[in-house]
Formats: sequence, structure tokens, C-alpha cells
Amino acid sequence: MNHVDVENDLKNALRRENAPEGFADRVLARAANRGSSPKAVPRNSWLDFFARPLVRWAALAAISAGTIFGVHVHNVRRQRAEGEAAKERLILALRIAGSKLQLAKSKVNEINANQTHGDQSQEEKE
Amino acid sequence: MRKTLLLLALFLSPAFLRAQEFKIPPDVEKLSAKARETVEVTMDGPMLRWASKFLSADDPEEAKAAKLVANLKAIYVRSFEFDKEGSYTSAEVEALRSQMHVPGWSRVVGVRSERDGDNVDVFFKLEDDRMAGIVIIDAEPRELTFVNIVGPIDVDQLADLGGEFGIPRLSAKSLAKAQKGEHR
Repeated sequence: MNHVDVENDLKNALRRENAPEGFADRVLARAANRGSSPKAVPRNSWLDFFARPLVRWAALAAISAGTIFGVHVHNVRRQRAEGEAAKERLILALRIAGSKLQLAKSKVNEINANQTHGDQSQEEKE
Repeated sequence: MRKTLLLLALFLSPAFLRAQEFKIPPDVEKLSAKARETVEVTMDGPMLRWASKFLSADDPEEAKAAKLVANLKAIYVRSFEFDKEGSYTSAEVEALRSQMHVPGWSRVVGVRSERDGDNVDVFFKLEDDRMAGIVIIDAEPRELTFVNIVGPIDVDQLADLGGEFGIPRLSAKSLAKAQKGEHR
């Protein structure tokens, strides 16, 4: 078999032929019998719920609102923590001021007590 | 005459009066490098008001503190605790004290203790016979504390707080006595 024969055999094998008569009817009839009529592919995923435009926008709005709320809560907590720290510093400042006033008072009282004691001793001597 | 009036106007101008506000000398601020413990509290204007908002009205002590600081303009505290004596110089303390020798301020307590080396000064600022500020300088061998409270402060309220937050109570009567003692 030479090269030309092979080519001719291939052409014959691949040549266009019309379908036999009644082919299309038989295919449709068989498909109908198998219950394979064209149907929508069932999409039973829960994500299908979000396929609806209204739901999609609502979800987006909810996520945005949630994010804003989360950031707000975080800021409020941070401000509260900073405020509490500032309050502690304020109380510490008052504590130090009070204790130093107390120290000054005790020193002066000590001096007064010594002076009074000295005066009394002098009066007794006189 | 005109020159004198100009100088007088300059000295009485708000800018000049602001310049008369107490400043912590840089040398004193640097003491924190040598100190074992440092307390620095700087609360002025908005910060003070903001901090006071967090004082609970339900807590009696904090409610008193809130009332005390309600009209204050600022609170400055610097407290340095050192490991050894001589960590600061008398010149550094004098730099603090010398600023108080200005009109309006009067020293109501000045204690120099040779025995334990404690030196305490309390200065009051009076405006129209009302307390407008208080400065406390406490120089101990291993501790230096400076307190400056700016604004109308009720000494009785501060004295009341003396017994709160673990501070020993200081009565107004004893403070008056202390002032009396200073004048002797």
C-alpha cells in the first residue's frame, strides 16, 4: 500500500455522509425514554441564596455596617482604656500632692511641738 | 514716661504673664535618667477634663476628686526616687524654688531639716484672695518631688482627699497651723 492509497482510504472514511433517515427521531425518542430531557442543572448550594441582587446588596450593607460597628466598638474600648489610664495618673498626682502636703504639715507640727515644749520648759524654769 | 508706660504694658501683657508660668528646668527633667523610679504626670486643659470624666460619680472618693479637679487648669507632678544620696544638686532644687519668687506667689511652708535632710516648700498663689495655684517642692536625700497645681483649688477639698486613696488625712485647721508656723 503506497502513500496515495492511504490518503484515499482516509478521505473515504472521513467523508461527509447524511444521517440515515429517522435518525434524529430515534435519538429524541431514546432520550425521552431515559428521562434525560433537558432540565436546569440543580444548584442546591446555600450560596445560591446570595445570587439574588437584593440579598447581595443587603449582605454587603450588613457587612459594611458590621465593620463600622466593630471599628466603633474598638475605638470606644481603646478610648475607655486610655481614659482609665489617664484617670489613674490623675489620682496618682492627687495622691502625691496630698502626701506631700501631709509631709509638710507633719514637719511643721513637729517644729511647733518642739517650740511649745521649749516654751513650757522655759516658763517652768522662770 | 512713655517708655515706662510701654514697659509696664509689656509686663502686664498676657504673653508676659504666661511666660511667668512655672517651668520645670531641663536639668530637673533630666534627673529621670539617674532615678530608680520616676513619676511624671502632665495634665493640662483638655486632658485634665477628659481624665476627670472617667472619675466615677458612684465612687465617693472619685466623686470628691472630680469635684476637686473640676475647675483646675493643670496638674504637673515630677517625682524622682534615687538609689543613693546626692543624685541631684541643691542648685537644681534652687532652680525650682527661685521661680516662685514672683509676685502673686507666697511661700506658706518652708521646712529645712538638718536631722533627716528633708526640705519641704509649699507655695500658694492667690488671686483676689482666692487660691489660684499651689506648688510643692519636696527635696529629700533620695527623693525629689515637685507638684504644681494650676487653677482655683479648694484646700479643704484637697485636705478631704488627704484621707482618701490611702493618703493620710490633712485637715484645713492643720494647714492653717502650718502656715502660722511658717511665719514664726
